[in-house]
Amino acid sequence: MKVTYAKAIGDALKEEMRRDEKVLIYGEDVAQFGNIFGITRGMLEEFGPKRVRNTPIAETAIVATAAGAAMTGLRPCVELMYADFTMVAFTEIFHVVSKWRYMHGPEYKLPLVIRCAEGCANGAGAEHSNVTESLFMHAPGLTIITPSCAYDAKGLLKSAIRSDNPVLFCEPKQLYQVKQEIDDALYESDYTIPIGKADVKRSGRDMTVVAIGLMVPRALEAAEILSREGIELEVIDPRTLAPLDTETIYASLAKTHRAAIVEEGNKTSGVGAELAARFQEEQYDELDGPILRVAALDVPMPYNIPMEKTAVPSVERICAAVRAAL
Amino acid sequence: MQYEARFLRQIHKDLLETRLLEEKLCDLYAQGRVPGHVHSGVGQEATYVGVLSTRQPGDYFKLTHRPISMPWMLGTDLDMFFGELLAKKTGNSGGRGGSLHIGELRTGVLGMSGTLGCDTGVAVGAALTIDYEQRPNVSYMFMGDGTSSRGPVYEAMNLAAAWKLPVLFICENNGFAISTPASSTIPVPNALADRAAGYGMPSEVADGTDVLDVYRAAKKMSDYVRAGNGPAVLECKDYRWRGHFEGDQCAYRDAEVTKEWVENHDCVKNLEAMLLKEGVVTEAELAAMRAGFDEQMETAIAHAEAAPAMTAEEIFDGLYA
Repeated sequence: MKVTYAKAIGDALKEEMRRDEKVLIYGEDVAQFGNIFGITRGMLEEFGPKRVRNTPIAETAIVATAAGAAMTGLRPCVELMYADFTMVAFTEIFHVVSKWRYMHGPEYKLPLVIRCAEGCANGAGAEHSNVTESLFMHAPGLTIITPSCAYDAKGLLKSAIRSDNPVLFCEPKQLYQVKQEIDDALYESDYTIPIGKADVKRSGRDMTVVAIGLMVPRALEAAEILSREGIELEVIDPRTLAPLDTETIYASLAKTHRAAIVEEGNKTSGVGAELAARFQEEQYDELDGPILRVAALDVPMPYNIPMEKTAVPSVERICAAVRAAL
Repeated sequence: MQYEARFLRQIHKDLLETRLLEEKLCDLYAQGRVPGHVHSGVGQEATYVGVLSTRQPGDYFKLTHRPISMPWMLGTDLDMFFGELLAKKTGNSGGRGGSLHIGELRTGVLGMSGTLGCDTGVAVGAALTIDYEQRPNVSYMFMGDGTSSRGPVYEAMNLAAAWKLPVLFICENNGFAISTPASSTIPVPNALADRAAGYGMPSEVADGTDVLDVYRAAKKMSDYVRAGNGPAVLECKDYRWRGHFEGDQCAYRDAEVTKEWVENHDCVKNLEAMLLKEGVVTEAELAAMRAGFDEQMETAIAHAEAAPAMTAEEIFDGLYA
């Protein structure tokens, strides 16, 4: 069947709520409205108002209550609508959710998921277009997941809900309506994808491209174009940014000896900055050239759509960066 | 007399032991035996002891940085208590959380945020679990007057009221946020009680230096919450006897005023005077209680000082479940 990324997220939520009555969802406009992207549509009807709740516009309360509910036995999967709004609840995510287990002892478990829609989409502007994984990679204790396709999204969200660790789950908005062909039996098989396991989306010998979220399909498209020019990219989707599967990435570096990181976030202090630093610290002998960072330009996301497209890495920009390096 | 002798003896025991623990913390700190900071709650025990005397099994507690001794009353043993304070492996987080993060989830203690107010929603979330499981329990959310001005407090109170969750919000108003008097930053006389109406919550104000007055008000409010009526507010007025942290000389306030509070509003001294007058306890019993508990504390401190600390190799242990 053809499944959209948005449907895969919704199906994961429903399946987990059917499986475990401790799972509940809440956030802004998730009940009757079914979330602004329609992802939770029908869930209020199926699970009732106790397990599908609208909240006030109160991100700090959404996250902090999820921590309290998780600690005391529930498995809340809450929504912050836009990734931009994670910043409203920065303290709650950075200090409370991420650190409390370490600070208070192993008895304290925080099985909660914070979902958010991230990235640019059709002129959403500077405060509704951000990706924020890099900000939270600075928070030890937090698991950060950004799936790039419907199949991964479903399997990873199910794993996130079942995890006893807090998870920040980022969903690139531009992927919501992207369809993927998935075998019916497989899709309905209650499969999960392990947290902390990267996926080699395409094999190649010339360069390892670590791409995140929306950049995965773009990197794959770039790989297709470059292949016709004789350049073979190995595209790796980390899927989980924290903890990061360096084993898979380093095995690839040992083969290609070249690396690029492609991300939708701003270049300065982005995910690519961290990964590049780690690659050169830990894999210097394997590298035959500088590590590339293909990232968003360091500007507030412009409302003007051609400018928005300029700000975020395109297939052409990825191709050009790779050609210049090889 | 309104209360039975057995109840009075218990509340006095809890009050006295909290006082003795808080005093011991100051002593240990002065002797350089505590690795971090101590925020002494000497003089402010009545609010916590009075409120917590209304607790039932299955309740949850979000405590504060002052007094930090409450986990003892809630069931954490002294070896663990002093183990955490002295940063030893025997502490609840192996000495990695510190003085503000003492407590155990099995006793209902939810933990505490070093960033004041950000944990208000945690107590509301625990109340969500109570509501979800339809239990007759209460989530007790303690804060100080300083914290009462934070935004996350209001988001959490609003959500608790909107969802009609069983939370008792308790504001211990000691008049100071570090050096800043509440009167200069809070535009109403009662930091939280006067704001409760904005969320449709009932409120009570109690004398935070009188443990029985606190108990009276807390019983009324916690019964209301426990019965499923939604959240409520209790504000207890007292005075911070010591500095914000040990070493704070309190140059920003009138020492005469402090002296008046210490002399006339000592919750332990006043309760003991009443109990002696009513014949509930004797001077000899009081002296024996103090000596006995001091011995218990000294034994636990000796255990903690002899206990191993976590090692550098263990620094990542328990980061993930």
